[in-house]
Amino acid sequence: MIHKVVLITLLSLVVMAESTTVEAKQADSNQTEAKKQNLYELRCIPCHEHRPYSLERVYMLYLKTFSGETIFKASLKAFLKEPMEETSVMPDEWIDNFSVKSKTILTDDELDEVINIYWDLYDVRNKLH
Amino acid sequence: MSVSKSKGTNLLRRSEKRSLRRFLALYIILVTMLLLLLGTFYYQSQEKLMFSNQRILLSNHANEEVQKLRRLHRDFPKRTEYPKDTDFRSAIYDIERVKIFSRLQNPNVNFDKEVYRVNNTIQFVKYLDDYYLGAKYLFIEIDENDEWYRNTMIEILTLGSIASVILAIFGLFFVNLFLRPMKNSITLLDNFIKDTTHELNTPISAILANVEMMDTEIMVDKNKRKLARINIAAKTVSHLYHDLTYLTLDHNRESKDQWIDLKQLMEDRVEYFAILAGAKKVNFELHLNYSTIFIDSIKIARVVDNLISNAIKYNKRSGLITITLEKDHFIIQDSGIGIESEQVGEMFERYTRFNSSEGGFGIGLNIVKSIIEEYELKIDVQSVLGEGTTIRVDFLKGTVDDT
Repeated sequence: MIHKVVLITLLSLVVMAESTTVEAKQADSNQTEAKKQNLYELRCIPCHEHRPYSLERVYMLYLKTFSGETIFKASLKAFLKEPMEETSVMPDEWIDNFSVKSKTILTDDELDEVINIYWDLYDVRNKLH
Repeated sequence: MSVSKSKGTNLLRRSEKRSLRRFLALYIILVTMLLLLLGTFYYQSQEKLMFSNQRILLSNHANEEVQKLRRLHRDFPKRTEYPKDTDFRSAIYDIERVKIFSRLQNPNVNFDKEVYRVNNTIQFVKYLDDYYLGAKYLFIEIDENDEWYRNTMIEILTLGSIASVILAIFGLFFVNLFLRPMKNSITLLDNFIKDTTHELNTPISAILANVEMMDTEIMVDKNKRKLARINIAAKTVSHLYHDLTYLTLDHNRESKDQWIDLKQLMEDRVEYFAILAGAKKVNFELHLNYSTIFIDSIKIARVVDNLISNAIKYNKRSGLITITLEKDHFIIQDSGIGIESEQVGEMFERYTRFNSSEGGFGIGLNIVKSIIEEYELKIDVQSVLGEGTTIRVDFLKGTVDDT
Protein backbone atom coordinates (compact mmCIF):
# COMPACT_ATOMS: atom_id res chain seq x y z
CA MET A 1 0.00 0.00 0.00
CA ILE A 2 2.83 2.37 0.94
CA HIS A 3 4.59 1.50 -2.30
CA LYS A 4 1.50 2.49 -4.31
CA VAL A 5 1.21 5.86 -2.56
CA VAL A 6 4.89 6.59 -3.23
CA LEU A 7 4.51 5.62 -6.87
CA ILE A 8 1.43 7.85 -7.40
CA THR A 9 3.21 10.78 -5.70
CA LEU A 10 6.27 10.36 -7.92
CA LEU A 11 4.12 10.17 -11.08
CA SER A 12 2.26 13.36 -10.09
CA LEU A 13 5.56 15.15 -9.61
CA VAL A 14 6.79 14.06 -13.03
CA VAL A 15 3.56 15.24 -14.74
CA MET A 16 3.77 18.61 -13.00
CA ALA A 17 7.39 19.06 -13.98
CA GLU A 18 6.53 18.23 -17.63
CA SER A 19 3.66 20.73 -17.81
CA THR A 20 5.90 23.40 -16.33
CA THR A 21 8.50 22.77 -19.08
CA VAL A 22 5.85 23.07 -21.87
CA GLU A 23 4.56 26.32 -20.44
CA ALA A 24 8.11 27.67 -20.20
CA LYS A 25 8.76 26.75 -23.87
CA GLN A 26 5.53 28.46 -24.93
CA ALA A 27 6.54 31.59 -23.05
CA ASP A 28 9.97 31.55 -24.73
CA SER A 29 8.38 31.25 -28.15
CA ASN A 30 6.02 34.16 -27.50
CA GLN A 31 8.93 36.19 -26.31
CA THR A 32 10.90 35.41 -29.49
CA GLU A 33 7.89 36.36 -31.68
CA ALA A 34 7.53 39.56 -29.79
CA LYS A 35 11.21 40.18 -30.19
CA LYS A 36 10.99 39.67 -33.94
CA GLN A 37 7.98 41.90 -34.22
CA ASN A 38 9.82 44.42 -32.13
CA LEU A 39 12.82 44.24 -34.39
CA TYR A 40 10.67 45.05 -37.44
CA GLU A 41 8.76 47.71 -35.51
CA LEU A 42 11.93 49.11 -33.99
CA ARG A 43 14.08 49.20 -37.08
CA CYS A 44 11.69 49.72 -39.97
CA ILE A 45 8.46 51.40 -38.94
CA PRO A 46 9.92 54.45 -37.10
CA CYS A 47 11.61 55.78 -40.26
CA HIS A 48 8.93 54.84 -42.77
CA GLU A 49 5.88 56.03 -40.85
CA HIS A 50 6.78 59.65 -41.60
CA ARG A 51 7.45 59.06 -45.29
CA PRO A 52 4.83 59.64 -48.02
CA TYR A 53 5.50 56.11 -49.28
CA SER A 54 4.21 53.65 -46.72
CA LEU A 55 5.87 50.28 -46.20
CA GLU A 56 2.85 48.74 -47.88
CA ARG A 57 3.38 50.79 -51.05
CA VAL A 58 7.06 49.92 -51.04
CA TYR A 59 6.07 46.26 -50.74
CA MET A 60 3.74 46.55 -53.75
CA LEU A 61 6.51 48.28 -55.70
CA TYR A 62 8.92 45.47 -54.89
CA LEU A 63 6.29 42.87 -55.72
CA LYS A 64 5.58 44.50 -59.09
CA THR A 65 9.29 44.60 -59.83
CA PHE A 66 10.49 41.17 -58.60
CA SER A 67 7.34 38.97 -58.53
CA GLY A 68 8.61 35.85 -56.66
CA GLU A 69 9.23 35.48 -52.93
CA THR A 70 12.86 34.37 -53.17
CA ILE A 71 13.94 37.09 -55.58
CA PHE A 72 11.89 39.66 -53.64
CA LYS A 73 13.64 38.89 -50.39
CA ALA A 74 17.10 38.59 -51.95
CA SER A 75 16.77 41.90 -53.80
CA LEU A 76 15.47 43.72 -50.74
CA LYS A 77 18.26 42.35 -48.57
CA ALA A 78 20.89 43.31 -51.12
CA PHE A 79 19.48 46.83 -51.35
CA LEU A 80 19.30 47.30 -47.57
CA LYS A 81 22.91 46.19 -47.23
CA GLU A 82 24.14 48.36 -50.09
CA PRO A 83 21.55 51.03 -51.00
CA MET A 84 22.16 52.67 -54.37
CA GLU A 85 20.12 54.90 -56.61
CA GLU A 86 20.56 52.44 -59.47
CA THR A 87 19.18 49.53 -57.51
CA SER A 88 16.33 51.35 -55.85
CA VAL A 89 12.79 50.62 -57.03
CA MET A 90 11.47 53.93 -55.71
CA PRO A 91 10.33 56.62 -58.18
CA ASP A 92 12.96 59.18 -59.22
CA GLU A 93 11.01 62.08 -57.64
CA TRP A 94 11.02 60.27 -54.35
CA ILE A 95 14.77 59.75 -54.47
CA ASP A 96 15.28 63.38 -55.53
CA ASN A 97 13.31 64.53 -52.50
CA PHE A 98 14.44 62.08 -49.86
CA SER A 99 17.63 60.61 -51.34
CA VAL A 100 18.59 56.96 -51.00
CA LYS A 101 18.39 55.49 -47.53
CA SER A 102 21.49 54.90 -45.48
CA LYS A 103 23.13 51.50 -45.10
CA THR A 104 21.48 49.16 -42.60
CA ILE A 105 23.10 48.41 -39.31
CA LEU A 106 21.31 45.11 -38.90
CA THR A 107 23.17 41.83 -39.14
CA ASP A 108 22.40 39.30 -41.88
CA ASP A 109 20.25 37.21 -39.55
CA GLU A 110 18.37 40.21 -38.31
CA LEU A 111 17.81 41.36 -41.89
CA ASP A 112 16.41 37.94 -42.81
CA GLU A 113 14.09 38.10 -39.83
CA VAL A 114 12.68 41.54 -40.58
CA ILE A 115 12.31 40.78 -44.32
CA ASN A 116 10.41 37.56 -43.52
CA ILE A 117 8.12 39.49 -41.20
CA TYR A 118 7.67 42.14 -43.88
CA TRP A 119 6.85 39.52 -46.58
CA ASP A 120 4.34 37.69 -44.38
CA LEU A 121 2.71 40.91 -43.29
CA TYR A 122 1.76 42.09 -46.75
CA ASP A 123 1.63 38.77 -48.66
CA VAL A 124 -1.13 39.16 -51.28
CA ARG A 125 -1.81 35.40 -51.40
CA ASN A 126 -3.42 35.52 -48.00
CA LYS A 127 -5.54 38.52 -48.85
CA LEU A 128 -6.98 37.80 -52.29
CA HIS A 129 -10.34 36.11 -52.45
CA MET B 1 -25.63 -38.10 -110.44
CA SER B 2 -23.59 -35.54 -112.22
CA VAL B 3 -21.49 -33.38 -110.02
CA SER B 4 -20.06 -30.15 -111.27
CA LYS B 5 -16.80 -29.95 -109.50
CA SER B 6 -13.82 -28.22 -110.96
CA LYS B 7 -11.59 -27.83 -108.02
CA GLY B 8 -8.19 -27.59 -109.61
CA THR B 9 -4.91 -28.26 -107.99
CA ASN B 10 -3.62 -25.31 -105.99
CA LEU B 11 -1.62 -23.04 -108.22
CA LEU B 12 0.50 -21.72 -105.39
CA ARG B 13 2.79 -23.88 -103.33
CA ARG B 14 3.11 -23.51 -99.57
CA SER B 15 6.39 -21.56 -99.77
CA GLU B 16 4.85 -19.23 -102.32
CA LYS B 17 1.79 -18.75 -100.12
CA ARG B 18 4.11 -18.00 -97.20
CA SER B 19 5.92 -15.35 -99.26
CA LEU B 20 2.59 -13.93 -100.33
CA ARG B 21 1.35 -13.79 -96.73
CA ARG B 22 4.54 -12.02 -95.64
CA PHE B 23 4.24 -9.54 -98.45
CA LEU B 24 0.60 -8.87 -97.58
CA ALA B 25 1.42 -8.50 -93.86
CA LEU B 26 4.22 -6.05 -94.67
CA TYR B 27 1.98 -4.13 -97.04
CA ILE B 28 -0.88 -3.93 -94.52
CA ILE B 29 1.49 -2.80 -91.74
CA LEU B 30 3.05 -0.12 -93.97
CA VAL B 31 -0.32 1.10 -95.23
CA THR B 32 -1.75 1.19 -91.68
CA MET B 33 1.27 3.12 -90.42
CA LEU B 34 1.03 5.53 -93.34
CA LEU B 35 -2.67 6.14 -92.73
CA LEU B 36 -2.13 6.59 -88.98
CA LEU B 37 0.68 9.03 -89.66
CA LEU B 38 -1.40 11.02 -92.13
CA GLY B 39 -4.35 10.97 -89.71
CA THR B 40 -2.13 12.24 -86.89
CA PHE B 41 -0.71 15.03 -89.06
CA TYR B 42 -4.18 16.06 -90.18
CA TYR B 43 -5.48 16.04 -86.60
CA GLN B 44 -2.53 18.15 -85.42
CA SER B 45 -3.01 20.65 -88.24
CA GLN B 46 -6.73 20.96 -87.41
CA GLU B 47 -5.87 21.43 -83.73
CA LYS B 48 -3.38 24.16 -84.62
CA LEU B 49 -6.01 25.83 -86.78
CA MET B 50 -8.48 25.74 -83.88
CA PHE B 51 -5.82 27.15 -81.52
CA SER B 52 -4.98 29.99 -83.88
CA ASN B 53 -8.71 30.84 -84.09
CA GLN B 54 -9.05 30.76 -80.30
CA ARG B 55 -5.78 32.61 -79.67
CA ILE B 56 -7.25 35.98 -80.75
CA LEU B 57 -10.20 35.59 -78.40
CA LEU B 58 -8.01 34.39 -75.51
CA SER B 59 -5.51 37.17 -76.09
CA ASN B 60 -8.32 39.74 -75.86
CA HIS B 61 -9.52 38.17 -72.61
CA ALA B 62 -5.94 38.27 -71.27
CA ASN B 63 -5.51 41.97 -72.12
CA GLU B 64 -8.81 42.73 -70.42
CA GLU B 65 -7.68 40.78 -67.35
CA VAL B 66 -4.32 42.58 -67.24
CA GLN B 67 -6.13 45.92 -66.95
CA LYS B 68 -8.21 44.58 -64.08
CA LEU B 69 -5.08 43.27 -62.35
CA ARG B 70 -3.38 46.63 -62.81
CA ARG B 71 -6.30 48.38 -61.11
CA LEU B 72 -6.44 45.76 -58.37
CA HIS B 73 -2.68 46.15 -57.76
CA ARG B 74 -3.09 49.89 -57.52
CA ASP B 75 -6.02 49.65 -55.09
CA PHE B 76 -4.63 46.78 -53.06
CA PRO B 77 -5.30 46.11 -50.15
CA LYS B 78 -8.38 48.32 -50.11
CA ARG B 79 -9.80 46.05 -52.78
CA THR B 80 -8.89 42.40 -52.46
CA GLU B 81 -11.44 40.65 -54.63
CA TYR B 82 -9.84 38.86 -57.58
CA PRO B 83 -11.51 39.74 -60.93
CA LYS B 84 -14.38 37.49 -62.02
CA ASP B 85 -15.72 37.05 -65.55
CA THR B 86 -18.53 34.93 -66.95
CA ASP B 87 -16.79 34.24 -70.30
CA PHE B 88 -13.51 32.90 -68.94
CA ARG B 89 -11.58 31.93 -65.82
CA SER B 90 -8.09 33.08 -64.93
CA ALA B 91 -5.15 32.44 -62.62
CA ILE B 92 -1.91 34.23 -61.77
CA TYR B 93 1.48 32.68 -60.95
CA ASP B 94 4.67 34.44 -59.87
CA ILE B 95 8.07 34.28 -61.56
CA GLU B 96 8.94 31.21 -59.49
CA ARG B 97 5.79 29.52 -60.86
CA VAL B 98 4.13 29.60 -57.47
CA LYS B 99 0.37 30.11 -57.56
CA ILE B 100 -0.82 33.52 -56.34
CA PHE B 101 -4.51 33.04 -57.05
CA SER B 102 -6.57 30.81 -59.33
CA ARG B 103 -10.15 30.49 -60.54
CA LEU B 104 -9.23 27.79 -63.09
CA GLN B 105 -11.30 24.64 -63.47
CA ASN B 106 -8.16 22.60 -64.27
CA PRO B 107 -5.33 23.44 -61.90
CA ASN B 108 -2.69 21.58 -63.98
CA VAL B 109 -1.31 24.50 -65.93
CA ASN B 110 1.45 24.29 -68.53
CA PHE B 111 3.99 27.12 -68.46
CA ASP B 112 5.73 26.07 -71.66
CA LYS B 113 2.85 26.15 -74.16
CA GLU B 114 1.03 29.27 -75.18
CA VAL B 115 -2.29 27.55 -75.99
CA TYR B 116 -3.24 23.98 -75.13
CA ARG B 117 -6.18 21.70 -74.41
CA VAL B 118 -6.75 20.13 -71.01
CA ASN B 119 -9.84 18.21 -69.86
CA ASN B 120 -12.37 19.83 -72.21
CA THR B 121 -10.96 23.31 -71.64
CA ILE B 122 -8.50 25.49 -73.53
CA GLN B 123 -5.86 27.33 -71.53
CA PHE B 124 -3.80 30.26 -72.69
CA VAL B 125 -0.81 31.79 -70.93
CA LYS B 126 0.32 35.40 -71.17
CA TYR B 127 3.68 36.56 -69.82
CA LEU B 128 3.29 39.89 -68.04
CA ASP B 129 5.87 42.65 -68.27
CA ASP B 130 4.67 44.43 -65.11
CA TYR B 131 4.18 41.95 -62.32
CA TYR B 132 0.85 43.20 -60.95
CA LEU B 133 0.24 41.49 -57.59
CA GLY B 134 3.54 39.72 -58.27
CA ALA B 135 2.08 37.90 -61.30
CA LYS B 136 4.47 36.92 -64.07
CA TYR B 137 2.14 34.35 -65.69
CA LEU B 138 -1.52 35.02 -66.39
CA PHE B 139 -3.58 31.96 -67.39
CA ILE B 140 -6.89 32.33 -69.20
CA GLU B 141 -9.20 29.30 -69.42
CA ILE B 142 -12.32 28.81 -71.54
CA ASP B 143 -14.56 25.78 -72.12
CA GLU B 144 -13.68 23.86 -75.24
CA ASN B 145 -16.16 23.74 -78.08
CA ASP B 146 -15.60 20.18 -79.32
CA GLU B 147 -17.33 20.67 -82.67
CA TRP B 148 -13.98 20.95 -84.42
CA TYR B 149 -12.96 17.62 -82.82
CA ARG B 150 -16.08 15.82 -84.05
CA ASN B 151 -15.70 17.29 -87.54
CA THR B 152 -12.01 16.37 -87.67
CA MET B 153 -12.63 12.77 -86.56
CA ILE B 154 -15.42 12.39 -89.14
CA GLU B 155 -13.11 13.76 -91.83
CA ILE B 156 -10.24 11.48 -90.76
CA LEU B 157 -12.50 8.40 -90.76
CA THR B 158 -14.06 9.27 -94.12
CA LEU B 159 -10.78 10.12 -95.83
CA GLY B 160 -9.07 7.15 -94.13
CA SER B 161 -11.73 4.76 -95.44
CA ILE B 162 -11.44 6.15 -98.97
CA ALA B 163 -7.64 5.95 -98.79
CA SER B 164 -7.86 2.37 -97.45
CA VAL B 165 -10.01 1.33 -100.41
CA ILE B 166 -7.66 3.00 -102.89
CA LEU B 167 -4.60 1.46 -101.22
CA ALA B 168 -6.33 -1.95 -101.15
CA ILE B 169 -6.80 -1.67 -104.93
CA PHE B 170 -3.12 -0.78 -105.23
CA GLY B 171 -2.35 -3.74 -102.95
CA LEU B 172 -4.21 -6.14 -105.22
CA PHE B 173 -2.35 -4.70 -108.18
CA PHE B 174 0.98 -5.17 -106.37
CA VAL B 175 0.07 -8.72 -105.32
CA ASN B 176 -0.68 -9.59 -108.94
CA LEU B 177 2.58 -7.99 -109.95
CA PHE B 178 4.36 -9.89 -107.19
CA LEU B 179 2.79 -13.23 -108.17
CA ARG B 180 3.11 -12.85 -111.92
CA PRO B 181 6.63 -14.38 -112.19
CA MET B 182 5.51 -17.39 -110.10
CA LYS B 183 2.31 -17.81 -112.06
CA ASN B 184 4.19 -17.48 -115.31
CA SER B 185 6.69 -20.19 -114.39
CA ILE B 186 3.92 -22.58 -113.28
CA THR B 187 1.83 -21.81 -116.35
CA LEU B 188 4.88 -22.40 -118.53
CA LEU B 189 5.41 -25.81 -116.92
CA ASP B 190 1.72 -26.66 -117.23
CA ASN B 191 1.68 -25.67 -120.89
CA PHE B 192 4.80 -27.71 -121.56
CA ILE B 193 3.25 -30.76 -119.92
CA LYS B 194 -0.02 -30.18 -121.75
CA ASP B 195 1.70 -29.94 -125.11
CA THR B 196 3.91 -32.99 -124.62
CA THR B 197 1.06 -35.07 -123.17
CA HIS B 198 -0.75 -35.08 -126.52
CA GLU B 199 2.29 -36.56 -128.18
CA LEU B 200 2.64 -39.42 -125.65
CA ASN B 201 -0.69 -41.18 -125.99
CA THR B 202 -0.42 -42.79 -129.41
CA PRO B 203 3.08 -44.30 -129.08
CA ILE B 204 2.42 -45.59 -125.54
CA SER B 205 -0.86 -47.20 -126.54
CA ALA B 206 0.83 -48.78 -129.56
CA ILE B 207 3.70 -50.15 -127.43
CA LEU B 208 1.39 -51.57 -124.76
CA ALA B 209 -1.02 -53.10 -127.31
CA ASN B 210 1.82 -54.75 -129.19
CA VAL B 211 3.45 -56.03 -126.00
CA GLU B 212 0.14 -57.60 -124.98
CA MET B 213 -0.27 -59.23 -128.39
CA MET B 214 3.19 -60.74 -128.54
CA ASP B 215 3.27 -64.49 -128.21
CA THR B 216 5.65 -65.12 -125.33
CA GLU B 217 5.29 -68.89 -125.64
CA ILE B 218 7.83 -69.08 -128.43
CA MET B 219 10.27 -66.58 -126.93
CA VAL B 220 13.50 -67.49 -125.29
CA ASP B 221 13.82 -66.42 -121.65
CA LYS B 222 16.27 -63.65 -122.47
CA ASN B 223 13.78 -62.03 -124.85
CA LYS B 224 10.94 -62.55 -122.36
CA ARG B 225 12.87 -60.54 -119.78
CA LYS B 226 13.53 -57.82 -122.34
CA LEU B 227 9.83 -57.74 -123.22
CA ALA B 228 8.89 -57.54 -119.52
CA ARG B 229 11.20 -54.53 -119.14
CA ILE B 230 9.60 -52.90 -122.19
CA ASN B 231 6.19 -53.57 -120.62
CA ILE B 232 7.25 -52.03 -117.28
CA ALA B 233 8.71 -48.97 -118.94
CA ALA B 234 5.63 -48.50 -121.11
CA LYS B 235 3.29 -48.87 -118.13
CA THR B 236 5.34 -46.36 -116.12
CA VAL B 237 5.06 -43.87 -118.95
CA SER B 238 1.37 -44.74 -119.34
CA HIS B 239 0.79 -44.07 -115.65
CA LEU B 240 2.56 -40.75 -115.96
CA TYR B 241 0.54 -39.98 -119.07
CA HIS B 242 -2.72 -40.57 -117.21
CA ASP B 243 -1.63 -38.30 -114.36
CA LEU B 244 -0.60 -35.57 -116.74
CA THR B 245 -3.79 -35.90 -118.75
CA TYR B 246 -5.83 -35.70 -115.58
CA LEU B 247 -3.89 -32.72 -114.34
CA THR B 248 -3.94 -30.68 -117.52
CA LEU B 249 -7.18 -31.73 -119.18
CA ASP B 250 -9.49 -33.96 -117.15
CA HIS B 251 -9.64 -32.38 -113.72
CA ASN B 252 -11.73 -29.48 -114.93
CA ARG B 253 -14.27 -31.61 -116.69
CA GLU B 254 -17.64 -32.39 -115.16
CA SER B 255 -17.54 -35.45 -112.86
CA LYS B 256 -19.57 -38.48 -113.90
CA ASP B 257 -20.14 -40.21 -110.58
CA GLN B 258 -21.32 -43.80 -110.42
CA TRP B 259 -21.15 -46.70 -107.98
CA ILE B 260 -17.69 -48.22 -108.22
CA ASP B 261 -16.86 -51.70 -106.95
CA LEU B 262 -13.68 -50.89 -105.05
CA LYS B 263 -12.69 -54.53 -104.51
CA GLN B 264 -12.77 -55.13 -108.26
CA LEU B 265 -10.91 -51.88 -108.90
CA MET B 266 -8.20 -52.76 -106.39
CA GLU B 267 -7.69 -56.19 -107.88
CA ASP B 268 -7.48 -54.76 -111.42
CA ARG B 269 -4.95 -52.11 -110.43
CA VAL B 270 -2.83 -54.54 -108.43
CA GLU B 271 -2.76 -56.83 -111.47
CA TYR B 272 -1.85 -53.88 -113.69
CA PHE B 273 1.04 -52.88 -111.39
CA ALA B 274 2.11 -56.48 -110.71
CA ILE B 275 4.78 -56.42 -113.38
CA LEU B 276 6.22 -53.14 -111.99
CA ALA B 277 6.19 -54.56 -108.48
CA GLY B 278 7.74 -57.76 -109.73
CA ALA B 279 10.70 -55.85 -111.16
CA LYS B 280 11.57 -54.77 -107.57
CA LYS B 281 10.49 -58.11 -106.15
CA VAL B 282 7.80 -56.30 -104.15
CA ASN B 283 4.93 -58.54 -103.05
CA PHE B 284 1.31 -57.62 -102.46
CA GLU B 285 -0.75 -58.77 -99.51
CA LEU B 286 -4.43 -58.15 -100.08
CA HIS B 287 -7.22 -58.11 -97.50
CA LEU B 288 -10.10 -56.96 -99.62
CA ASN B 289 -13.72 -56.91 -98.51
CA TYR B 290 -16.64 -55.81 -100.63
CA SER B 291 -17.04 -52.03 -100.77
CA THR B 292 -18.53 -49.57 -103.18
CA ILE B 293 -18.21 -45.82 -103.53
CA PHE B 294 -20.19 -43.27 -105.54
CA ILE B 295 -17.47 -41.48 -107.43
CA ASP B 296 -16.10 -40.64 -110.86
CA SER B 297 -14.36 -43.81 -112.16
CA ILE B 298 -11.38 -41.95 -113.64
CA LYS B 299 -10.80 -40.01 -110.44
CA ILE B 300 -10.91 -42.99 -108.05
CA ALA B 301 -8.62 -44.84 -110.46
CA ARG B 302 -6.13 -41.97 -110.25
CA VAL B 303 -6.25 -42.11 -106.44
CA VAL B 304 -5.68 -45.87 -106.25
CA ASP B 305 -3.08 -45.88 -109.05
CA ASN B 306 -1.03 -43.14 -107.53
CA LEU B 307 -1.06 -44.62 -104.05
CA ILE B 308 -0.08 -48.10 -105.32
CA SER B 309 2.47 -46.64 -107.74
CA ASN B 310 4.11 -44.66 -104.93
CA ALA B 311 4.05 -47.69 -102.65
CA ILE B 312 6.00 -49.61 -105.31
CA LYS B 313 8.27 -46.73 -106.30
CA TYR B 314 9.37 -45.88 -102.77
CA ASN B 315 9.48 -49.45 -101.49
CA LYS B 316 12.59 -51.43 -100.65
CA ARG B 317 13.69 -54.23 -102.88
CA SER B 318 11.79 -57.43 -101.89
CA GLY B 319 9.47 -55.22 -99.88
CA LEU B 320 5.78 -55.73 -99.11
CA ILE B 321 2.65 -53.77 -99.89
CA THR B 322 -0.40 -54.54 -97.78
CA ILE B 323 -3.74 -53.36 -99.08
CA THR B 324 -6.75 -53.55 -96.79
CA LEU B 325 -10.24 -52.69 -97.99
CA GLU B 326 -13.13 -52.34 -95.59
CA LYS B 327 -16.64 -51.07 -96.17
CA ASP B 328 -15.80 -47.46 -95.27
CA HIS B 329 -12.07 -47.19 -95.80
CA PHE B 330 -8.98 -48.65 -97.41
CA ILE B 331 -5.36 -48.74 -96.27
CA ILE B 332 -2.25 -49.02 -98.41
CA GLN B 333 0.82 -49.83 -96.38
CA ASP B 334 4.35 -50.21 -97.72
CA SER B 335 7.61 -51.29 -96.16
CA GLY B 336 9.53 -48.60 -97.99
CA ILE B 337 11.87 -45.75 -97.25
CA GLY B 338 9.27 -43.57 -95.52
CA ILE B 339 9.66 -39.85 -94.89
CA GLU B 340 10.09 -37.68 -91.84
CA SER B 341 6.83 -36.78 -90.09
CA GLU B 342 7.47 -33.03 -90.63
CA GLN B 343 7.49 -33.59 -94.37
CA VAL B 344 4.10 -35.33 -94.48
CA GLY B 345 2.25 -32.04 -95.06
CA GLU B 346 4.48 -31.16 -97.97
CA MET B 347 4.17 -34.47 -99.80
CA PHE B 348 0.83 -33.43 -101.32
CA GLU B 349 2.24 -30.28 -102.84
CA ARG B 350 2.58 -30.11 -106.56
CA TYR B 351 6.04 -30.72 -108.04
CA THR B 352 7.33 -31.94 -104.67
CA ARG B 353 9.58 -34.97 -104.67
CA PHE B 354 11.53 -36.33 -101.75
CA ASN B 355 13.65 -38.79 -103.66
CA SER B 356 15.26 -37.61 -106.86
CA SER B 357 16.49 -41.10 -107.69
CA GLU B 358 12.94 -42.07 -108.63
CA GLY B 359 11.29 -40.73 -111.77
CA GLY B 360 8.20 -38.56 -111.95
CA PHE B 361 7.11 -34.95 -111.76
CA GLY B 362 5.86 -34.93 -108.20
CA ILE B 363 2.24 -34.52 -109.28
CA GLY B 364 0.70 -37.88 -108.26
CA LEU B 365 -0.11 -37.11 -104.64
CA ASN B 366 -1.19 -33.61 -105.56
CA ILE B 367 -3.82 -35.19 -107.82
CA VAL B 368 -4.83 -37.54 -104.97
CA LYS B 369 -5.23 -34.56 -102.65
CA SER B 370 -7.38 -32.62 -105.12
CA ILE B 371 -9.72 -35.60 -105.62
CA ILE B 372 -9.86 -36.32 -101.88
CA GLU B 373 -10.81 -32.70 -101.24
CA GLU B 374 -13.34 -32.68 -104.06
CA TYR B 375 -15.20 -35.68 -102.64
CA GLU B 376 -14.60 -34.67 -99.02
CA LEU B 377 -12.86 -37.91 -98.22
CA LYS B 378 -10.44 -38.13 -95.35
CA ILE B 379 -6.82 -39.07 -95.88
CA ASP B 380 -4.38 -39.89 -93.10
CA VAL B 381 -0.68 -40.46 -93.65
CA GLN B 382 1.60 -42.13 -91.12
CA SER B 383 5.23 -42.41 -92.13
CA VAL B 384 8.36 -43.50 -90.33
CA LEU B 385 11.70 -42.82 -91.98
CA GLY B 386 13.29 -46.14 -92.99
CA GLU B 387 10.26 -48.20 -92.00
CA GLY B 388 7.52 -47.29 -94.44
CA THR B 389 4.36 -45.37 -95.02
CA THR B 390 0.72 -46.14 -94.26
CA ILE B 391 -2.01 -44.22 -96.06
CA ARG B 392 -5.60 -44.57 -94.96
CA VAL B 393 -8.51 -43.15 -96.93
CA ASP B 394 -11.90 -42.93 -95.21
CA PHE B 395 -15.07 -42.51 -97.23
CA LEU B 396 -17.57 -39.90 -96.21
CA LYS B 397 -20.77 -41.24 -94.71
CA GLY B 398 -23.24 -41.62 -97.55
CA THR B 399 -20.58 -42.27 -100.11
CA VAL B 400 -20.65 -45.96 -99.25
CA ASP B 401 -23.50 -47.91 -100.83
CA ASP B 402 -25.56 -49.12 -97.90
CA THR B 403 -28.31 -50.67 -99.99
